[in-house]
Amino acid sequence: MTEATVETTATSAARERRAGVGDVLLDVRDLRTYFHVMDGTVKAVDGVSFSIRKGGRLALVGESGCGKSVTALSIMQLIDIPPGEFAGGEIIFDGVDLLKLKTSALRKIRGGEIAMIFQEPMTSLNPVMSVGDQIMEAVLLHHKVDKKGALAIATQALRDVGVADPTRRVRQYPHELSGGMRQRIMIAMALSCDPKLIIADEPTTALDVTIQRQILELIKAVQERTGAALLLITHDLGVVAETVDDVAVMYAGRVVETGTVEEVLLHPKMPYTRGLLESIPSQAKRGQRLSAIKGSVPNPFRMPNGCKFEPRCPYAWETCSESEPELIQLGPDRTARCWLNDKRFHDRLAEYEASMSGGRA
Amino acid sequence: MAEIIGPIDLPPATPADQPDYDVQLESLNQWQIAWRRFKRHRMALIGSSMFFGMVIIGLIGPLIFQYDPYKIPVPEVRVNAGRPPSLAHLFGETGRLQRDVLTLVINRIRYSLLIGVIASAIGAIVGTIVGGVAGFFGGWTDTILMRIVDALLSLPLLFVILAFSQFIGQGAASWVTITIIFGLFGWLGIARLVRAVILSLREADYVDAARAAGVSDRRIIFRHLIPNSLSPIIVATTLGVAGVIIGEAFVSFLGFGVDPLTPTLGNILSGSLEFISQGNWWWAFFPGASIVVIVLGINFMGDGLRDALDPRSKI
Repeated sequence: MTEATVETTATSAARERRAGVGDVLLDVRDLRTYFHVMDGTVKAVDGVSFSIRKGGRLALVGESGCGKSVTALSIMQLIDIPPGEFAGGEIIFDGVDLLKLKTSALRKIRGGEIAMIFQEPMTSLNPVMSVGDQIMEAVLLHHKVDKKGALAIATQALRDVGVADPTRRVRQYPHELSGGMRQRIMIAMALSCDPKLIIADEPTTALDVTIQRQILELIKAVQERTGAALLLITHDLGVVAETVDDVAVMYAGRVVETGTVEEVLLHPKMPYTRGLLESIPSQAKRGQRLSAIKGSVPNPFRMPNGCKFEPRCPYAWETCSESEPELIQLGPDRTARCWLNDKRFHDRLAEYEASMSGGRA
Repeated sequence: MAEIIGPIDLPPATPADQPDYDVQLESLNQWQIAWRRFKRHRMALIGSSMFFGMVIIGLIGPLIFQYDPYKIPVPEVRVNAGRPPSLAHLFGETGRLQRDVLTLVINRIRYSLLIGVIASAIGAIVGTIVGGVAGFFGGWTDTILMRIVDALLSLPLLFVILAFSQFIGQGAASWVTITIIFGLFGWLGIARLVRAVILSLREADYVDAARAAGVSDRRIIFRHLIPNSLSPIIVATTLGVAGVIIGEAFVSFLGFGVDPLTPTLGNILSGSLEFISQGNWWWAFFPGASIVVIVLGINFMGDGLRDALDPRSKI
C-alpha cells in the first residue's frame, strides 16, 4: 500500500466516524492525582478533563513529566496508593465512575473493557511465560472459553497483528522476540479481549524508527476494525498527526489546549503547543538552529501562581503571571488555556497570529 | 597499487542447502536453558553425582546388603570395643553390640536424606508464601510478617529445636516430628529472600501489564512473581537440605533427635562417642564421612545451580 492510499483511507474513515458521532465513552472530569512524597505533594494530574466518544481517537500530548502517563495509569487505577492519592474528580467510563468501583468489578473492566499497551515492550512481557500463555491468561479472564478456545483466540489475535506463523510463536518466550514483535504481542493481548477502549502509552517510543510506523499503522488498523476508542499518549506530534482525530495538549498536570488535529496542529491557540510544533525538525528549516522551548518544566513543589507556562512563554505579560486562565471555549470541542484567547486581549492575539504566519513563511 | 578488482562472486546470504535458523531453533524456556548450563558445570556434576550416589545407596543399599539392621548380631568372639574394618565387615563393627557399621550407615542415610529434603521443602513452601505476600502487599502486612520473622530469627534456634523435640517426643521424637520441627523453623531465611526478590520484581512492567489485563493479585503473585523468583529459591532450598542434615545430625548426636528405632546418621555418631577414646575410629568415621559426602555434594550442586540459573554468569 502506498502512502497516499493510507492517507486517504484514514481521512475517509475519520470522516465517517465523525459523521456518526458516538456517545461519550470515557469522560474524565477534573481528575486530580497527587503523590505524597518526602518533600511534599506532587500534583501530577491537577484538574484534567477530556472525553472520548465511542470509536473516537484522542491523543494526550505533552513533554516528559506533564502528567500524561499518570492520567492513563489513573484511568486503569494502576497508581500505587499510597504514595498516590485520587484527590478529586471522576472517570466516567460507559456510565460508571471507575474511581468508585470495587477491585473485583475493576478487574473485569481492566483488560476486558479497557486494554492498555505499554511503552516498553522489552519489559512488559513476563520473561518466564510463553507468549501464548500470556495472551491466554487475559482471554481466559474475560471470555467464557476453555483452554483450547483461548489458544485459538490467542493464535487468531497474533495472526491479526501480522505475526507470521502464529502457531509456533505462541510457544515462544519473550526473549526470543524483537522489540517490534513484542509490541505486536502486546497489541494482540490488548485486542484479544475486544475492549471498548485501547490506551496506548507511548507505544512507539522504545522502538526503532522503521518499526514505529508499522506499529502505529497496526494500532490504527486494529482500532478501526474493532471499533474500539483509542487514547494515545505521546510526546511525538508527528505520531499525533498520523494517528488520531482529536488532541488534548497537557502541561504541568493540566490540559492546556484541545481540538481536532487540524485545528491544534495548524492553528495552535496556546503558545506552548506552538512551541512544541516549532521544535519539530523539518526539511524547511534545514541549516537553521533547532528551536526549543526555553527553560524547563516548573518544579512541582514551586508552581508559578499564574499561568504555569508563563515563565517560559515568549508572549507572556502581567496578566499571565497574576492569574491562571480557565480553559477558554473557542468552539465545540475547541478550548485553550491562554489569556490570548480572552476577548479583552484580542489585539495581542492578532499580534501572536501575525508572528506565527511570519515565522512560517 | 593493487588493481581494481571487478565484481566478486559473493556467496548467497543463505546457501540453499543450509537450514533457515529461525525455523530450526527450538524454543527453550528458562528451565531448559538452565539445564543446559548445569550440564556444562563441572563442579555441579561432581556434586550431583556425590549427592545422588548417596541417594541411590540409601535407597537400594539396604535391599542388597546381607546384614539385617534390626537384628543384634551374635558374634563368635565378643569384643566390647568393636572390631576394625575387615573383609566380612568393610566398615568395621561397633562397640558393645558389635553391629556392622556399613549396614548401619546404609540404612540410616535414607532417613537423614528424607528429613533434609522434606524439611527444606516445607521451609521453602512456607517461606515463599510468607515472603511473597509480604513483598507484594508491603505496608502493614509486610511489617507484621517480617517482624515475626525477625523475632523467630533472634531465638537461638538450636535450643528451641532441642526443647521442642523434648517437649513433643519426650526425648525420642519420630523422624516425622523432627522433620516438621526443622521445616517450621527453616522458612525464615527463605521468607526474607523471597520478600527481597518480590519487592524488586513487583515494580516490573509486566506486573503492571498483567494488572492492566485484569489479573488478580493472587494470580500475579503465584503465576508471575514467584516463577520469576524461583532461581534464588531453588538455590537456597538446595543448600538448606545440607543445613537440615547437619542440624539433624547434631540434634541426634546430642540425644534429642530421632529415637534410636528409626535411626539417622547422627544417632550412630552419638553411640560412637564413648568408644572413640579406645581407638574405635571406624564407628565415627564412616557415618561422619557419609554426612560430609552428602553435604559437600549438595553444596557443589547448589553452587552449580546458582551459576546455571543466573543469566548473567558465564559458563
